[in-house]
Amino acid sequence: MISTSFNFLIFFPLLTIIYWVTPHKWKLLLLLATSYFFYININPSFLFILLSVTCCTWIFTNLMAKAPESGKRKYLVSNIILILLPLFFFKYYSDINNGILHLLESHHVRWPLPSIKLLLPVGISFYTFMAIGYTIDVYNEDAEVEKNPAILALFLSFFPLILSGPIERAKNMLPQFRAHKTLQALHLTQGLKLMLWGYFMKLVVADRVGIYVDSVFNNIHQHNGTTLLLASIFYPFQVYADLGGYSLIAIGTAKILGFNVMQNFKRPFFARSMSDLWHRWHISLISWLTDYIYLPLSFTLRKYKLRGIVVALMITFLISGIWHGAKLTFIFWGLIQGTYLSIEAITNHKRDLFEKNHNLHQKVWFIAFEVCITFILFSISQVFARVTYVSDAITVLAKIITNTGKLYIESPSVIIFCLFGIVMLLLKDFTDEYFPNRFLLFENRNVVIRFLSYSAVVILILLIGVFDGSQFIYFQF
Amino acid sequence: MERIDIITKITPIFRKVLNNESLQLTEELTANDVEHWDSLSHMLIINEIETTLSIKFKLKELNKMSNIGDMITIIISKMTE
Repeated sequence: MISTSFNFLIFFPLLTIIYWVTPHKWKLLLLLATSYFFYININPSFLFILLSVTCCTWIFTNLMAKAPESGKRKYLVSNIILILLPLFFFKYYSDINNGILHLLESHHVRWPLPSIKLLLPVGISFYTFMAIGYTIDVYNEDAEVEKNPAILALFLSFFPLILSGPIERAKNMLPQFRAHKTLQALHLTQGLKLMLWGYFMKLVVADRVGIYVDSVFNNIHQHNGTTLLLASIFYPFQVYADLGGYSLIAIGTAKILGFNVMQNFKRPFFARSMSDLWHRWHISLISWLTDYIYLPLSFTLRKYKLRGIVVALMITFLISGIWHGAKLTFIFWGLIQGTYLSIEAITNHKRDLFEKNHNLHQKVWFIAFEVCITFILFSISQVFARVTYVSDAITVLAKIITNTGKLYIESPSVIIFCLFGIVMLLLKDFTDEYFPNRFLLFENRNVVIRFLSYSAVVILILLIGVFDGSQFIYFQF
Repeated sequence: MERIDIITKITPIFRKVLNNESLQLTEELTANDVEHWDSLSHMLIINEIETTLSIKFKLKELNKMSNIGDMITIIISKMTE
């Protein structure tokens, strides 16, 4: 059951009613039972891994809290290794096995390891990251240890977040799970508005744009540079609308139940630099990587000053790439991001001085120029994330430069719907970015405008939305 | 060393790393209040403070620095160790 399925539309309203009429002392257990039911519904065998990660984390963090300062580290390291094992096994066993096979065969040696067909347990990356973050926070005394196993189990399995995040922090969620909840109309309306826009992003934008992007990227050798250029421009919008839409549905769902979950996207295509973009794109993952990988690394390498920062950036994004998949394309993707950010870090002062000397910072044309350059750089990197082989990415980029021609249009409606969805998305983000308290629709003080806006979005979802039960892109990670 | 003395000592470091000659440090100042004070420049600042004041921070202590006041408290505790 995913949040765009028909079953969810029955399940969630029912749960909301039962949840708010349930006495406080039973709310926690109700949510935990619901979250486990939601997860079992996907694949019952996956529950075993979730339970193992939860038990390990609860036992080791509680042992850590009781241990003297000198003895805490062994529990930290043990828990991180133990809970990473299933993630590595399910995510990388097949890729590593295939890699070793190819390597041996290239040297005329045939010694196959047993081939296991593994289905990646949905959400494993997300709850593993949350468990690691919590363990490190307890070790660093940034979060209090949770003695109640049910609360920790709910934190790691909370159904709105378990499939694709946002990757929440114990500091934010655990106090909310412990707190007494009262029904507030504002939470309900805010949650519904977030969910409505999330459904629009997923069903109208992501899945419509996906039709064109998939048809082009699945046959890159048959398409010319012009078509590949359009698909490469569309693809970042597809990912943004897919994961951003999912995140809004998740945040809205949690809000209706009275929980505040962190923002995952903040108008990423109005970023003025790559570092700005990474403060706006998949924020929960990037802040996780920053806190638990980049900061310890750059702290260790701080005596090397800027060179240490560059190495820390490259390693962090390399890990981010490998997290997306054990493929060369993702490794290239990570290295490209690391390179972009390193160049920005090295040239930071000079660029700032240049902008100040020429008074460029507030000039509209310069802002537009920076926004466009950032989007182009990001789109180039995303080509590597979309294709299967690095050679395919190079083919795509080479064709874009050298092989122009007539644009592939299977049906004009496909392009029209893609452009319509992207323009709507950009318009909303544009007004939120530059005119935050003007042109309000969902938040308008006039009730008629508010209801007309909700109705228009619902009608657009019903008319243009793609209801083929497609999965979210980030479920595979 | 008094808190005000530490502010006097670390202000030139912040000004140099953040490229802001007019920056005035106050106990309440946070990274959100200052342009270019991000995770990259923060580590350069930390390294410069360590060198200037001959102290060594722990990673745990870094996480506890939510503003300049917290940073000064940690620096004083290091200097009196």
